[in-house]
Amino acid sequence: MAGKELTFDLPVRLEHVQDFARAVGEDNPVFFDIEAAEQQGFPSVVAPPTFTTTQIFQVPRAEREQQLGANLDYGRVLHGEQEFVYKRLPIAGETLKGRMRIAKDFTKEGKRGGAMRFVTYESIFTDEAGDEVLSAYYTLIETAKDVG
Amino acid sequence: MGEVETITLEGISSGMELGEVVYGPVQRDDFKAYADASGDDNPIHQDEDYARKTGAPTVFAMGMLPAGYLAHAVSDWFGGPQHLRRFKVRFTTRVWPGDEIVCTGKVQTIDGNIVTVTIEARRRGDGPPELELDHEQVALMGEADIELPL
Repeated sequence: MAGKELTFDLPVRLEHVQDFARAVGEDNPVFFDIEAAEQQGFPSVVAPPTFTTTQIFQVPRAEREQQLGANLDYGRVLHGEQEFVYKRLPIAGETLKGRMRIAKDFTKEGKRGGAMRFVTYESIFTDEAGDEVLSAYYTLIETAKDVG
Repeated sequence: MGEVETITLEGISSGMELGEVVYGPVQRDDFKAYADASGDDNPIHQDEDYARKTGAPTVFAMGMLPAGYLAHAVSDWFGGPQHLRRFKVRFTTRVWPGDEIVCTGKVQTIDGNIVTVTIEARRRGDGPPELELDHEQVALMGEADIELPL
């Protein structure tokens, strides 16, 4: 699987950022109001820390599977972990470039018997200048078949 | 949600507990709003019949919804989202309609102006009666690094 990579664009649209911020109960005006964001030194409205989670739905599962080929059985897949590492937060109006690959893929024995498989998708986001903005690590767990 | 006092480098110490922040109770409408805003249209979070077919008693929250609340809490504890350098969560149990989300944290280490905290979001509520859940359970746990202004 080494070397397989999928690239995509993630436009950070203002209305999308505001809707997302509302959906996670944010009340800080830097997520909603351009002036308030500018007063705090941001170029525009700021995307909440978990905003780039939307990228996983930006790239349809079928395309991800086809290009990166984890061969997961989605009938028994759970979202196990999520991690973000930030240089800065995305800003409304920019378009991030994402590069996704499988960073980890391993199997371990579950507590109740049966192997559990952990697959981590790494997405590195860069801005229009080519500078890194953040990285996201999306870990899926494929549970064992017929754990009794 | 109440006012949260911002923690600064002068006022911080390891072992310090970060004030509890409570969100919700979360309802089906919140799952729909999150689905619309995030693109996560998995019917298991919105369609009762579909959820039951998979063996769940009813719909439940996408993990990233309480994760979003927890990121919100961490941002507020430290004076804004721009100070976050890392945020990591592990999902340990499902969040059900009617649950409150109780966010807490604790300072682990302080290295220069980088603070590492452990974070946790508990679900609090009755949950679906057929599951006979404990009233309060850890739904997400993880850690975050924050770079505080010097």
